[in-house]
Amino acid sequence: MAEARSRERSLLRKALSPSYACASPLELGGLADGSLAQPAAARLRDHVSGCARCQTELTLLKDFESAAPRPDEERAVRWISARLERRFSEASAGPSPWRARHGPALPRRSVFTALNVGGFAVAAATLAAAVTIGLREGRPPELAQPSPAAPTVLRSAGITTLSPAGDLDAAPNELRWEPQTGAASYSVQVMEVDHAELWSAETRDASIALPPALRARIVPGKPLLWEVVAKDAAGRAVAWSGKQRFRIRR
Amino acid sequence: MSNHLAAGGGASIWLQELFRRHYTKVVTWCLRVAGDREEAYDLAQGVFVKAQRHLGAFRGDSNVSTWLYSITRSECLNYLRSRSPLNDPLDDDVAEALPDDPESRPERVFELHSSVQAARALLDRELTDTEKRVFTLHYGDDVPLQTITSLLRLENPSGAKAYLVSARRKLARALQRWRASEKLTA
Repeated sequence: MAEARSRERSLLRKALSPSYACASPLELGGLADGSLAQPAAARLRDHVSGCARCQTELTLLKDFESAAPRPDEERAVRWISARLERRFSEASAGPSPWRARHGPALPRRSVFTALNVGGFAVAAATLAAAVTIGLREGRPPELAQPSPAAPTVLRSAGITTLSPAGDLDAAPNELRWEPQTGAASYSVQVMEVDHAELWSAETRDASIALPPALRARIVPGKPLLWEVVAKDAAGRAVAWSGKQRFRIRR
Repeated sequence: MSNHLAAGGGASIWLQELFRRHYTKVVTWCLRVAGDREEAYDLAQGVFVKAQRHLGAFRGDSNVSTWLYSITRSECLNYLRSRSPLNDPLDDDVAEALPDDPESRPERVFELHSSVQAARALLDRELTDTEKRVFTLHYGDDVPLQTITSLLRLENPSGAKAYLVSARRKLARALQRWRASEKLTA
């Protein structure tokens, strides 16, 4: 019985897993809010109309966008949100009215201590990003005032990737990109198409070998993404490659 | 030039404000997945920590809410897999509600249709929208039936279980029809 159920699970999971044609959550989001450009939007809409998986994803995404607690959930949602605020206040360097309102942080597991609050954008970069996001969200966020103590703003720049990209005949042995002026190290990440991380590493070189365990997961037909972020000697990110897509031909 | 955030020193007020706008969505979802406020709190923390870590990868070419959904979905599925891998007690109830005929089990549909695309088309043709969603989440992503009931806000008495039983019956009938047509053409 257990063996039959396990076999059933395995077969059904295989059949119901995302195909190469399936959309990522971000693509579905673009389809839902109309920001996905033609002809990609038409092609994706056609696929979604006949794909149970993408229809399910789209339903969940729309539900998330409009998620509001039911009456029986409201109390728990308020409780959790208040504690998240405390964690943010605890992690934030600046004074917080929330801290005064909610008192000292709770002794619950402190994942938020992992937050590197000093690693965020300074005011000028924040302004650029906030305007972009504020337009999408319908109202501008409250902005921090520029601090005279803030360090020099480092504008972002692009890194030119060399390989891998596009359709390949075999799993790549390494990731390569053009060296970035001012970069002391690079963070690289390999992801599933839904941006779930498969592997990440740091290097001082403009290339890095892929470990055998990761290469074994690069199977024909399965698209993957990778990106590299250049960091200066202080560990601040100074340039990004953007996400590069590749896959092995079937 | 990329529109990534440039990193440096400075306060996290912008990030705090950004996340605050989305607390309700993320927390509500985490609560429905975890079913318990303590677990949901840890899960939601994990979502925002991951969002902070990957903020540099957010390129602004998608809605912030969609980007957070992508992270929330991934974290919630990882949580479910770590909590109860493949052991959903409601599966026993589903099995009991169906005839014990190995030839009518839904995986036979996928075995007999050598092409995954053909099997998916059959699923798309035979099942209602809710049945497809329950089937996809339960078998494709290993989401427990109780969680599916909560996530899809199913309000019938037995929730997702009823849709799964119904879907499997329909697929079994489709299988019988397919076999009958094969015999006719043989």
